[in-house]
Amino acid sequence: MDEFEPKIVGFFCNWCSYTGADLAGTSRIKYPPNVRVIRVMCSGRVDERLILKAFALGADGVLVSGCHPGDCHYQKGNLSARRRVTGLKPFLEAIGIGKDRLRLEWISASEGPKVAETVKSFTQTIKGLGPSVFNRRRNEH
Amino acid sequence: MKGDMYIARSSDKEILEKAEYGGAVTSLLKFALESGRVDAVLAIKARDGNRYDGVPVLITEPEEVIETAGALHCASPNISRFLKEYLDGASDLKVAVTVKPCDAKAIIELTKRIQINLDNLLLIGLNCTGTLSPTKAKTMIKTEFEADPADVVAEDIEDNKLTIRLKDGTEKEKDLTELEERGYGRRENCRRCETNIPIMADIACGKWGTTDKNKTFIEVCSEKGSDFIKEAIEAGKIKVEQPSSDAIETVRKKDEAAIELARQWQEKDFASLTEMSGDERFNYWSTQFSRCIKCYGCRDACPICYCKDCVLEADRGFVPPGEVPPDTMFPMVRITHVMDSCVNCGQCQDVCPMELPLSRLIFMLNRELAGIFKYEPGMDVSELPPLRTVTDQELSLSSVEVAL
Repeated sequence: MDEFEPKIVGFFCNWCSYTGADLAGTSRIKYPPNVRVIRVMCSGRVDERLILKAFALGADGVLVSGCHPGDCHYQKGNLSARRRVTGLKPFLEAIGIGKDRLRLEWISASEGPKVAETVKSFTQTIKGLGPSVFNRRRNEH
Repeated sequence: MKGDMYIARSSDKEILEKAEYGGAVTSLLKFALESGRVDAVLAIKARDGNRYDGVPVLITEPEEVIETAGALHCASPNISRFLKEYLDGASDLKVAVTVKPCDAKAIIELTKRIQINLDNLLLIGLNCTGTLSPTKAKTMIKTEFEADPADVVAEDIEDNKLTIRLKDGTEKEKDLTELEERGYGRRENCRRCETNIPIMADIACGKWGTTDKNKTFIEVCSEKGSDFIKEAIEAGKIKVEQPSSDAIETVRKKDEAAIELARQWQEKDFASLTEMSGDERFNYWSTQFSRCIKCYGCRDACPICYCKDCVLEADRGFVPPGEVPPDTMFPMVRITHVMDSCVNCGQCQDVCPMELPLSRLIFMLNRELAGIFKYEPGMDVSELPPLRTVTDQELSLSSVEVAL
């Protein structure tokens, strides 16, 4: 059987992380193609619903990335994201999705290499965890 | 002032006869109406004298207050939601409300969400060690106590014993834990509840710390409550004495014992959910959620759910219309939207026609979040829900995890 290639949904903030990912691209840094990036205006836009919907639609992992604390274009949007991600983890654990399938990272516009590192290490983590329960269930039927 | 304690007794003969522990609560409610401090009293009354059908009533005539005297253990009316939906959150009406600790917490959470005007309320807290579901209570009285539910005139929970008094005067007593292990006894959320004395109300009234059955122990919990009690004493509506240090110690010990018992129940109930493996948990909850008939009962009963335009409605793009069981987004969004502020009132689980263990899951998550965010729901109006708020101090916190 082919090696499991996880599907990762990345919610990247327009001002820092998305630009950081752009920099990774223009700098020709290689990183795994497993991440599907969705540009949001702020990591604070990513509420529980978006993350849960991503899992329900087949994401094996969800990566939320925003500006470092203090750098948010909207002052405190990234802090909201931090609270939500922290708060959502116990729920993911409790219903069996697993808290390690959700990750938050701070990546600034100048941190192209960090985008690559983050995606690489998260892809490895998810490969270790295997397909998400939603996907396994779907494949059984 | 706040922190004062009294042993109180009603001065009204009629109330003393009907009330259970000195009638102080009934007298205070009546005084609140008479003195014009409030426009109405919101309390619980046995509908048509049926102890298993406690309903909220809005009273504006002082003479009618006595109809609400006496404690009803086999009822769990949704006072906070009633206040919000039918009295417009007390926006233009001053109301004295009798509240159990969970009711008080729910009212405070709704105040934070600007759905209830707390300034217009006088919260008369009632100490509570649990309520029973009416239907189960009737079955229990028949099978365990071998009595006719219609003959019961009073119930009492004390020192982990459930006592019922029948109209012929006889009393029957059973060990509460034994009953609960057989699936009777208090509602599941009540077993787990650590708040017996509603110190978030204006005053907290109970029987702990009193030596005879004709007195009420009152703890003053706010300045509003303090003013009110002083006026009631001056007007001669209640007679008070200072509790002895022994009495205060008794209250503390009984409270601690009840809290300890609640923690044991929490441990036991939560272990049933956490000791499964990740896959087992997913299978368990998928099976549970697949029984959901999308009646929206949990949402409509929950005191934390307050949105006028609910995202779970069919036209909002998250839950497809016309599907039963609903998409998994339905339970997931509902749970995650209220988990940070759950007051463990148990209403969601009470109303669920499919008897999903909703309150068990939501309260378990709430305990975990309470630890992470150092937040206790329903205690303080100035503390905002942790998943809907951030503080300036967090700007200097660089980690990706919240560590408060």
